[in-house]
Amino acid sequence: MKSVATKSLIGPAFAFLSLLLALPTTLDAADEIATGFEQTMQPFFQTYCLRCHNAQKQEGKFRLDTLSRNFSDQTIAERWSEVVFRMNSGEMPPQKEPQPKSKELGGAVDWLSTRIREGEAARMARRGPVAHYRLSREEYGHTVYDLLGVYFDVNQPGAFNEDPRWHGFERIGSLLTLSPSHVHRYFRAAETVLSRAFPEQQPKSQKSRREANTGQESWLQEQGLTGPVRWPVWPGHGKHLVSASAPGLYRIRIQLSALPSFKGRLPHLALWHHQLKRSVVGLDVDAAEGQPKIIEIETFLPEGNFNVMNESPGMLADGQTPRVDEFPFVNTKISRPNRPTAYRLFNDEGQLIFPLLIVDWVETEGPIVLEADEKKRDGLIPAKDGDLIAARNCLKRFTMRAWRRPVTDAELDRYLKLIEGELAVGEKFRAAYRAAMVAVLTSKNFYYLEEGSPTQRRATVTDWELASRLSYFLWSSMPDDELFDLAEKGELHRPEVLRAQLARMLGDSRIGRFTKSFPRQWLQLHRVGAFAPDASLYPDYDKWLEQSMVLETTGYFGEVFSKNLPLREFLVSDWTMMNPRLAMHYGLPRPNASDLQRVSLQPEHHRGGLLTHASILSLTSDGTRHRPVHRGVWVSEAIFGRTPPPPPPNVEPLAPTPSEQPKATIRMHLEAHATHATCASCHQKIDPLGFAFDNFDAIGRWRTTEQVEGGQGDDPAVNASGTLPDGRTYNGANEFQQLLVQDADRFAEAFVEQLATYALRRVMTIDDAAQIKAITAESRIDDYTLRTVIENFVLSELFQKR
Amino acid sequence: MISVHQRALAVLGFCTLTLPSLAQEKEPFVPQPGQFPPAGSGTYLAGELVIMDAANRRGGLRLDGNEPHDRYHRGPLHYFAMLPYGMITYNGAPAELRDIPLGTHVHGYFYVPPVGEEATIPPQPEDMEKYDIKHNHAVSLEDDFSFYQRHGQSWKVVSIDPNKGKIDVAPAGRMARDGINTQYTFDIDDVSKVWRGRTLVDLADIAPQQVVQFNLGWSPGWRDREFKVSEIWLDEASRTFATDLQRRRHVKYQKQRWLPGWIDTVEDNDFGGGTVTLTLFGGMDPSLYADLRATQDKGFGVAVAEKSLRTWFHRSDKKIGQVIEWKETENSPPGSSGIQVHMKFTELLDGYRPGRCVRVKSHAWIFVTMPSEERVKTIEERKRAAVFSIP
Repeated sequence: MKSVATKSLIGPAFAFLSLLLALPTTLDAADEIATGFEQTMQPFFQTYCLRCHNAQKQEGKFRLDTLSRNFSDQTIAERWSEVVFRMNSGEMPPQKEPQPKSKELGGAVDWLSTRIREGEAARMARRGPVAHYRLSREEYGHTVYDLLGVYFDVNQPGAFNEDPRWHGFERIGSLLTLSPSHVHRYFRAAETVLSRAFPEQQPKSQKSRREANTGQESWLQEQGLTGPVRWPVWPGHGKHLVSASAPGLYRIRIQLSALPSFKGRLPHLALWHHQLKRSVVGLDVDAAEGQPKIIEIETFLPEGNFNVMNESPGMLADGQTPRVDEFPFVNTKISRPNRPTAYRLFNDEGQLIFPLLIVDWVETEGPIVLEADEKKRDGLIPAKDGDLIAARNCLKRFTMRAWRRPVTDAELDRYLKLIEGELAVGEKFRAAYRAAMVAVLTSKNFYYLEEGSPTQRRATVTDWELASRLSYFLWSSMPDDELFDLAEKGELHRPEVLRAQLARMLGDSRIGRFTKSFPRQWLQLHRVGAFAPDASLYPDYDKWLEQSMVLETTGYFGEVFSKNLPLREFLVSDWTMMNPRLAMHYGLPRPNASDLQRVSLQPEHHRGGLLTHASILSLTSDGTRHRPVHRGVWVSEAIFGRTPPPPPPNVEPLAPTPSEQPKATIRMHLEAHATHATCASCHQKIDPLGFAFDNFDAIGRWRTTEQVEGGQGDDPAVNASGTLPDGRTYNGANEFQQLLVQDADRFAEAFVEQLATYALRRVMTIDDAAQIKAITAESRIDDYTLRTVIENFVLSELFQKR
Repeated sequence: MISVHQRALAVLGFCTLTLPSLAQEKEPFVPQPGQFPPAGSGTYLAGELVIMDAANRRGGLRLDGNEPHDRYHRGPLHYFAMLPYGMITYNGAPAELRDIPLGTHVHGYFYVPPVGEEATIPPQPEDMEKYDIKHNHAVSLEDDFSFYQRHGQSWKVVSIDPNKGKIDVAPAGRMARDGINTQYTFDIDDVSKVWRGRTLVDLADIAPQQVVQFNLGWSPGWRDREFKVSEIWLDEASRTFATDLQRRRHVKYQKQRWLPGWIDTVEDNDFGGGTVTLTLFGGMDPSLYADLRATQDKGFGVAVAEKSLRTWFHRSDKKIGQVIEWKETENSPPGSSGIQVHMKFTELLDGYRPGRCVRVKSHAWIFVTMPSEERVKTIEERKRAAVFSIP
């Protein structure tokens, strides 16, 4: 990932690091390139290339000896990419010419690929006098909530474009460009947000209650039952019991029983939105049939109708078989299907096959307006219509907060003129004022974080810019009043003030945005479920499991954060965060409560640290099988901050085991594949990082044999042993993780780099290397505890560097 | 080559019942869902098929002779139900009850009712209890043609006297253990159908020394075990023709209604679906099993069925499963085809339970809708149909 220039260290103990990770040095980038080129590339070119591509001869009209080594120039970098492509594909040198050994070829390709990536990073990190960083859509949502107290669902279809990612990070300024489509969506979003913040008529909060037993008295009497009638909600089914008349905060209370399946799977209660066709809230619930519980959910809901739904898996609606809820239901003892053609709901022992929700009543209250949210809107609109002076004052306050900086009179005048213009054409005062507010929110000053001055070359950020850096780093949102005040006073940059503010921010509830968002981006958790596992191979996989996988990892990060644990806990641990669905997936005892909680792990559980999380193990797999190479690349990127060279073109995919051959593991196939010269050099470095996790299948379940389609004989045993390029060996994930812990300093440095990428919204370069190293070194004193790392980073020169 | 049908029938019992009391003492096997009877355990009864409930596979026989207690004159019919795996044969080919004309003399092997199904054939009124035979669930039913041909017994015409309306025949070939296996005189007249090749011929075409098969029916001397020849097949061509006609009729019927079997095991997934093992009943034409075997890679439709093998709305009330394993075993018990299929489903029906009946469809067979009277449509109707409605 990081494109820091490297210098190889000599010595077998450091060979692994030197080959793959390569420690940064303080050498000037140009010198580094020149030295590296002389040492690595010149002999290679001399032996294999220059005879046909030099001053005397230019085969293919191409001359290599004069090709510039300025990799940060895009045109030059593209030419070098072409060179790598030809070498990698085996096209060059031609077959009739002397051929390089695989190690020589690998070394040359590796060196060039690293330089090309460094060049790319330098281009991406290049900053003019003013740097612009557009808000990600997630940040937009948090910002409008903190600005106006309005919940705006940025993930709603059509609301915003998905943000482009760079190695998982979705806040990299150079990627977050602006198109007419964005402008259109910003305009629409601003209209929506302001109409909700300042509606013509405040929507009235309403209470409603739906009860299953209502109107069932005569039926019960006919049946000779005492009741009460309840609503059974089977997997994949729901009942329209909740409506939101306007978007906003709602409180929903549901009395229900929640019965587990015969295997202990809990029902997953969800609120499923009719129009969006997806659930907006979901949680596992557990309540005995005779002891119903009241579940209270307080959440922001978009406008529309919602089903109270059982989102557990179990397809029970093909349109031909009688519906599972077609008969009135009293209890599971007497209310059973009486047709053999109905769905099988109870097993031969009479137990429930599927998790079942049994609902008694549902109460809905909302939209609820919180005092704290109302307070955010205080003083943002004039109290009296027609008062242009008040309008100016209100707009000034609004604009300053929205743009996160002082506003000049000239800037404000433009918006006042807009109000006057609207009034002049007969628009009502409030509508005219709101037009100006829309204009403020659709200004680039709102949706871009700006750093720098057009007229002044600054090396550090101002206090205003620092306030935004801090708040968007830790809260994914705008600064609060206290940060603004300190920025206005010019005190924020002072270390003692900054330290105090950091402590305050880390203790604020908004820090939850960081503990969820940073690990999601750092660890590329967006890839979980990107390749939906094949239902025939992994029939047990469901959406809630997928969500639980991500929850484990973000919850794990949150736990390390809240307990201020050392970074090595990311690599090894004897605990994890677990909910009942994950426990079932891992084959571990079900936790006592139905929500995510910390659980202790034993060695026989084969878990511990991030690398054995099902999320990580499945995001590095495809829908059918685990991918050791992808796992290796992921470890290289996420743990060591290094991206291996891309695979050569036209790589043949691994063929399935022929039916007449013995069954072979993916590893066996890969090892055969890696015997080719063009593949071997890279695979030797990448594969050992992935093979360590071969005991985990494509969805992260522990196994000792690998299930192989086709082929002869039994499924082969897993081989999770390996040798790192420096000669250290391991057998299994646990031993591999222990080796990673030995490289804890390197991991810490990579972690700081990831943190900086997230916070500074740009790719780290050679120019940042020394500062990253300094932060790491300082954090070592405190055993790399997470909060110490964050504090050292925030107080560092790098954090305030523009 | 012995067909699956013949093989399945070959293991039927040979315990001949003369007195009800005797049968009760000798019969140890009580059928139960999921369990086929052991070979040779059935009780033999023969009589004329007098009434039938074709849809529910039930009927009533006037048993041969007059025992006991002047039964011919005073006793009731012997009402019976076919066991779900009970096999019916007519003219030498698999059949349904509806294929056997009323008035046909048939041979069957019977058991006492399966556990829990004692009420299927309602008990006799008190004054008729002395005639009651508890063995009222049939594992097989065959006309004379099928019964004797299966045993390898045929009849050699000794003499025929059209004027007296009598025909003398002697058993030839391998003797049947049950039924008639001695020289016998039957009634015959111009109502009897005489087949040669594919043609109906006259009584005059019957000649001594001809080796024939026939079906029997009522004769005025029934109480003295006298029978009338209702249909006689004079040559091999006529018999083959009759068998082939019935075979074609049977194949058509089963393709529309699917092959019966029952569930052996079910393993549920709590995330949906599961695996099911089922055994196909025996007594069907081999081509039908071959159809399933050949199309197993496309999966089978499996509809739940009643013990009478009636389905509800089978084209909809079915689930399609993938075949995981197709297993065939030799020497299967009576009623079983010896074919067991292990299948995987994404959804399971309530009727998929061990011992419950299903019908299995090959991908090669087209969907048809059964007429109303064949389908079970309501729970009330299902309850009514669980008991034989005796006239």
